[in-house]
Amino acid sequence: MDTLKDAVDFRDFSKPEKVGFAIFSLFLLIFPWLGAGSFVKVVMIQFLLFSLFGMGWNTIGGYGGQVELGKAQYVGIGAYTVALMMVWWKIPFWVSMPIGVLIAIGYSFIIGYPLFRLKGHYFAIATICTSLVLQDIFINWKLVGAAKGIELPIHKHPDFLYMQFKSDTYYFYFIMALFYVAIFYMNWFRKSKLGYQLRMIKEDEEAAESLGIDARWCKIKAYSIASAFVAVGGGFLAVYNLYIDPYSVMDLDLSIKIALMSMLGGAGSMWGPIIGSAFLVPLDRFLGSWLGAQKGLIGIDFMIYSALIMIVSAYQPRGIWGIIEQFRKRGT
Amino acid sequence: MAFLEVTDLVKDFGGVVANNQVSFQINHGEIIGLIGPNGAGKTTLFNCIVGYHKPNSGKVIFKGKEITGFKPFMTNREGIGRTFQIMKVTAGMTVLENVMVGAFCRTDDRHFAKVEAAAILGFLGLESVKTYHLNELPIASQKKIGLARALATQPELLMLDEVASGLNPKETEEMVGLLKKIHQEKKITLFLIEHVMEVVMPISERVIVLDGGEKIAEGLPKDIVKNERVIKAYLGEKYAKGL
Repeated sequence: MDTLKDAVDFRDFSKPEKVGFAIFSLFLLIFPWLGAGSFVKVVMIQFLLFSLFGMGWNTIGGYGGQVELGKAQYVGIGAYTVALMMVWWKIPFWVSMPIGVLIAIGYSFIIGYPLFRLKGHYFAIATICTSLVLQDIFINWKLVGAAKGIELPIHKHPDFLYMQFKSDTYYFYFIMALFYVAIFYMNWFRKSKLGYQLRMIKEDEEAAESLGIDARWCKIKAYSIASAFVAVGGGFLAVYNLYIDPYSVMDLDLSIKIALMSMLGGAGSMWGPIIGSAFLVPLDRFLGSWLGAQKGLIGIDFMIYSALIMIVSAYQPRGIWGIIEQFRKRGT
Repeated sequence: MAFLEVTDLVKDFGGVVANNQVSFQINHGEIIGLIGPNGAGKTTLFNCIVGYHKPNSGKVIFKGKEITGFKPFMTNREGIGRTFQIMKVTAGMTVLENVMVGAFCRTDDRHFAKVEAAAILGFLGLESVKTYHLNELPIASQKKIGLARALATQPELLMLDEVASGLNPKETEEMVGLLKKIHQEKKITLFLIEHVMEVVMPISERVIVLDGGEKIAEGLPKDIVKNERVIKAYLGEKYAKGL
């Protein structure tokens, strides 16, 4: 009960934040009725999905300050569990998704245990490696479709149990619900014991240990939470796309995007991952479809994308949210 | 039974012997000073007790339990708090949050941790700075916050590594007052490394002297200042004559 109360307690945010969040929530609620085209709807769903990924990454990467670049493997675990269980045993999404999350959590403990013996750059490299290894296994594993991937059986009628709908509106509301669960969780998390301990580890690991914090165990716990978040998103991706392969759900590209969006928005802050995703998802999409399609301009979208990231990180390492806070401080 | 008992502790950093066969005992409720020239192995000794270094040989027994080779967070949970000579000056957390982290060592409840942290800040006279960040504060306040953080973990033994270094005489006096207050009101045993004689001599009940990794003397402050080996190694003739 107290936990729930803490999760919905937004009192310590400033007034502009609260108002902004309320307006944004209202916008999300009525968004499907605003008559946006299907492309915009897809972008919105992607935005919410990446916010979810980003918030998960933010636990270990933002609050814990560990540069984690292997989240794609957990997207894959979530997606593959849902897809395979549906194809093999016709297990509904609502059963397979939680199982996928549990597998992701179990796997993250196994991976996390040796991984967190490492620190700094070595840790970052190792996270990339574990993700790449898992991707390679899935590319070569015949049983799970190997490189061809898996197609989910398409039901004739919309089916809530298997989360199959004709209209994107349903998917939109579903991912929005997950997004809000994530927000409430993060709001609880940032003031929890683990949240504080992680921030202390990020600040000064030596001092943290002297304050009774088992730094490695804290990091493993946060890593598992992050993995669970990402696996939920992975499960959604499977039923939304109805087709998955190791390249789309386990790629290094995806891992880096998840981390980058949060860093750009502001790692270690409540709104950072959401802001980052709100900037980069549309940018990524529009640049990709508009510039990428022009003759002779292929690849320029990546150049703009990278330049933007370089500018922000040079100007304010704490990301867009850091810039906003800087201005606010100057104002008072 | 001694409160903290260190027997024949050896720490060897591949050739350099930082601590050689160091043995001593601390009783409950004492204030013990640890002095010695730079490089004498004082901080290494602290680190061996608390668990940042694993001693090559020897034993550390705290409250009758052997804690040799325990990790720092484990010794803290046993009841040993420590502060650092050089505190990392960070900008990510406020003073209150810093102390809350310490309080979370003994509780899971965020509201309780906050109350607890506020109480400790009040005890040390730091309420006015609780919303500041460490990098916005002078060094004297930073040192006190290090102390507050360690106190929040409710230690029975508090190990202070040069808590008065970098402070001016007035601040030093204030710090000595605080240490006395902690000792008397919270009944915490203090073990302090100190270079500032004005801190260590008046409050210590006993003083241990290290030089070149070995314990060269132990005794009452008034005897230590007359000890010839100590004068030669550390205090200098001038200080001895001044007393």
